Amino acid sequence: MLSSLRSGVQGLWRASSRALQTTSTLQHDSLFVHRDTPEDNPNIAFEFTPENQQRIDALLAIYPEGHKRGAMIPLLDLAQRQNGGWLPISAMHKVAELLSLPRMRVYEVATFYTMFIRRPIGKYHLQVCTTTPCWLRGSDAVLKAIVDATGCEVGGNSPCGKFSISEVECLGACVNAPMVQVNDDYYEDLTVEDTKEIIEKLKRDEKPKPGPRSGRFASEPLGGLTSLTEEPTGPGYGLQDGLKA
Amino acid sequence: MLKAISTATRLSMPTLSRSLPAFSTSSSRFASQDPTTRKEAPKIDTETVIALPAEAKEKQVYESQICVPTKVDLSPISGVPEEHVRCRRVRIYQPPKNAMQSGTNNIHHWEMEFDTRQRWENPLMGWTSTGDPLSNMKLQFTNPDEAIEHCEKNGWVWYLDCPKTEKEFKTKSYGLNFSWNRRTRVSTK
Amino acid sequence: MLRQPLTRALALSSSSRIAPLGVRRYAEALAQPEKVEVFIDDKPVYVPPGTTVLQAAAMVGVEIPRFCYHERLAVAGNCRMCLVEVEKSPKPVAACAMPVMKGMRVKTTSDLTKKAREGVMEFLLVNHPLDCPICDQGGECDLQDQSMAFGSDKSRFTDIHFSGKRAVEDKDVGPLIKTIMTRCIHCTRCIRFASEVAGVDDFGTTGRGTDMQVGTYVEKMFLSELSGNIIDLCPVGALTSKPYSFAARPWETRRIDSVDVLDPLGSNIVVATRTNEVLRILPRTNEEINEEWLSDKSRFACDGLKRQRLVTPMVADSRGNLTPVEWEDAIVAAAHAIRDCPPNKLVAIAGELADAESLVALKDLVNRLGGENVCTEQYFPMGGSGTDLRSSYLLNTKIANVEDADFVLLIGTNVRFEAPLLNARIRKAFIHKETDVAYIGPKVDLTYEYTHVGDSASIVKELATGSSNHEVLKRLQSAKRPVVILGADQLKTSEGSALLAFTQELALRLQDKLEDKEWKVLNVLQRTASQVAALDVGYKPGVGAILQDGPKVVYLLGADAGVVTRESLPKDCVVIYQGHHGDVGASIADVVLPGAAYTEKRGTYVNAEGRAQQTLPAVTPPGKAREDWKILRALSEVLGARLPYDTLDEVRHRMAEISPSLVAYGDVQNNNYFAQARVLAQSLQKPVSGKLDVQLKQLEDFFMTDAISRASPTMAKCVQAVLKQKQSPY
Repeated sequence: MLSSLRSGVQGLWRASSRALQTTSTLQHDSLFVHRDTPEDNPNIAFEFTPENQQRIDALLAIYPEGHKRGAMIPLLDLAQRQNGGWLPISAMHKVAELLSLPRMRVYEVATFYTMFIRRPIGKYHLQVCTTTPCWLRGSDAVLKAIVDATGCEVGGNSPCGKFSISEVECLGACVNAPMVQVNDDYYEDLTVEDTKEIIEKLKRDEKPKPGPRSGRFASEPLGGLTSLTEEPTGPGYGLQDGLKA
Repeated sequence: MLKAISTATRLSMPTLSRSLPAFSTSSSRFASQDPTTRKEAPKIDTETVIALPAEAKEKQVYESQICVPTKVDLSPISGVPEEHVRCRRVRIYQPPKNAMQSGTNNIHHWEMEFDTRQRWENPLMGWTSTGDPLSNMKLQFTNPDEAIEHCEKNGWVWYLDCPKTEKEFKTKSYGLNFSWNRRTRVSTK
Repeated sequence: MLRQPLTRALALSSSSRIAPLGVRRYAEALAQPEKVEVFIDDKPVYVPPGTTVLQAAAMVGVEIPRFCYHERLAVAGNCRMCLVEVEKSPKPVAACAMPVMKGMRVKTTSDLTKKAREGVMEFLLVNHPLDCPICDQGGECDLQDQSMAFGSDKSRFTDIHFSGKRAVEDKDVGPLIKTIMTRCIHCTRCIRFASEVAGVDDFGTTGRGTDMQVGTYVEKMFLSELSGNIIDLCPVGALTSKPYSFAARPWETRRIDSVDVLDPLGSNIVVATRTNEVLRILPRTNEEINEEWLSDKSRFACDGLKRQRLVTPMVADSRGNLTPVEWEDAIVAAAHAIRDCPPNKLVAIAGELADAESLVALKDLVNRLGGENVCTEQYFPMGGSGTDLRSSYLLNTKIANVEDADFVLLIGTNVRFEAPLLNARIRKAFIHKETDVAYIGPKVDLTYEYTHVGDSASIVKELATGSSNHEVLKRLQSAKRPVVILGADQLKTSEGSALLAFTQELALRLQDKLEDKEWKVLNVLQRTASQVAALDVGYKPGVGAILQDGPKVVYLLGADAGVVTRESLPKDCVVIYQGHHGDVGASIADVVLPGAAYTEKRGTYVNAEGRAQQTLPAVTPPGKAREDWKILRALSEVLGARLPYDTLDEVRHRMAEISPSLVAYGDVQNNNYFAQARVLAQSLQKPVSGKLDVQLKQLEDFFMTDAISRASPTMAKCVQAVLKQKQSPY
């Protein structure tokens, strides 16, 4: 009796208890202001490699004179790839210089798109989909396996500096759930064992074969086709006689 | 009547200087006889003002015409100290839009204000004190003519102050942000 | 009382502002397209095609609420506050971006419109902190105003228990602007101002969705001379004035309309005061001068008015230390010195903040004593017509008309810092009218692209004689409305008169060929607020020659530019300083007479266009300081050369005698006699070989240029902050 009263009071108290000043929860795992760090500051020079320089020339040639800024996203992407998967501030400055734009305009684009990563990141960026279909198919276990195998927090880098884990929303591979994206490759139809194996291979810098792990080629049904099993009909199927040549 | 018309037309003339000379003084007020050069009120009809209501009525009855006092000088009877009639200068203006706000609802009128005199912080409460009885007298008028009339009635020296705030009309266009060959193309967003 | 109705009938009934003396507009005389009829709340109005719904509504006096829309900035259309119902449209439309269509029926008070506004307001308030009581914008906040007028009377916001309101980190954008970014409603006005008007693309939005924030991404000061305007533009309290923070509420202050004197343009300002103290300065709209912007120096240097002030008369004692004395003693000391001095050894020098009244009084006084040596600190060549013709030393094109120019040639003037709002006009023309700019002088950042012709004075000669083969000459010759602006600083050198002569030649050559006979090409941009009035009154420009003669008494009327030094004067020379700040002039003075600053007196200032404007007293001068012309009047009495005016009105009558334009407040006369000036200058066209240099090259040079801004701690902080920012890699 008393205990129920107490829990009732506690419930009430919880509902109405709010400090006058609360800080809002952080809504995104990255910051939208720049902070100088030893790894990322404008004093670290960034130059495009000669190969990339050629690519830049080709990219810029696509856009008409006076509208070269259209090449900003490809250039940023190039810079990010060159820099091991993340985009340092000096690379943004370099792109601004190449496109003769105010730096702020590049910062705007680089912060808008989540695929531009503005913090140092491991060699392998593991993006684990945890949206509903993957989650229903066991993405939590996959995520836990990855966290255990790499020793890396979600949203952080592993101690060895090789891995970074992000929890991401749907990557559009729901038929092959659960799935993980490692840099540019999708690893699908994962089990915990598959995940461990992928991580082990990555640790040895071997490239695991991308694609579904269940033996499927793509997203066809696992146990063979359940429909459209018969031989495809040839041309002229079902036409009335009069129309047949 | 004619005078009223001439005042009004003068004010509405397109050549009206945006600020009538700020050195208009009482001493020079009655000097000129040419109505086009006169900036301020002509002589007042003191008899009409001073007369008791009964007398005035009587006068009205006796006279065949209705006499409308065109100009009245209230300064002798308004109770305003002479110093505040002679030495004060009234600025007639439209209140400027507050640069901090975009609303313009309360600036479409004309105001009169007196020249600023000393103010100080009252040591008791920190409020602002002043020895100037007219410092808070801000009257609103629908047009400058009414304000001028009011000032003349009270014998104050006035001047008009109206900077050019009307903007040339130019259509705004959202499309200009994206024009491909003009400098209006914005780099923001 | 027949008068009232009659008056109303006679065209004065409309409350529209009288602006009969409009600036001539040089818009292309295109055939006006047919007007479109639209109905705003069933009121018909005819508008040119392309007009937005919001503009059409404004024409019939219907004000549609807005946050992001600003008539001097590009249309952004992102706040959605201006949603209105349009008949036959399935959804409410954003009035600020929607062009009118024929027969459109707009309903600005319908239920749908009201509901849309309430909805937008509710969304904005979800993430807006409820800190109005501690917000500096409180009382003059658009969000407050509009939530009162158009918002819902209740809130459905309950999410406070779960995630709370959005919080955003504050940015540090320098010593002038305080940011509280949680209050930001993302109208992007500051971003657009920085990018379009100020020309410094430092602001932007980072992130997206709920995480979007307005800012600079990196730690960076907003390096602009117009930065203070984003405080005005901000419809909420996200950007507020740092020097004015927590100082006063808008309803506590008194606002006095006045005129700025810290640059030669004479921007219109509103001085907000409380208890005899100037708290802040805001711009006042004047389409012919400053539109509604104000430069940072004019806006923030007002705290210099409270510091380094001369509050009591002072006389140097036997050891040379200035000691406070009574007015009587100081004036008698000054009078003694002047009386003992032969008239030709008396030199009066007017400084950059002197008002026309005191200039006239000082000149009259010196003339009455039999002297002729009255001069200004700024030099101007006296060869040819010298200062006899007003057209030689004014901005003849006029500030507002620069907007209509199609080619601007700047000669030895960094307009950006010498006259920031003129530069804003040029930038406006650059953006909206595709005006091109060429520049002769050392390379500087003008915030827009320009053709750099070089920095040699001989280029001007080549352009004037037509011997140049630079493309700029062709552009100038083909321009329909060219503008040539010469910086007055260039005239200081020995080649100054030749440079002026060549500039006149060039400008007149262009002007003669123009179809538009009213268009003026020649402009000389003065550096100080007092120079034009001084030249109008008849002051000799420059002190060089006069100081050579070894004066016995030097009367400094606010002369603080440092052109007079103790070293350049004979040992027994007496220096009398009259002014409001203890600056360069007072430090060398034997007698100090404290005067009033521009916020403390009714003074006439003539701006670079030749437009007379008056300041109004907002506060009283501190201590024993008095209005300047009164000091001179008192001095004349003691000297026995009584000046014939006792009141300000009489001084102004005297000014009107000298030049009626000095009291034609607000108006500017067209200048003529260009051809005569050109003929008289023919003989001065000597070869020039020097390099043009400008005094204010960088932003840090801009902030402290006169006695008031040198005394201002805010301006000192700005200089420090800019220098610090220069060290930063961003």
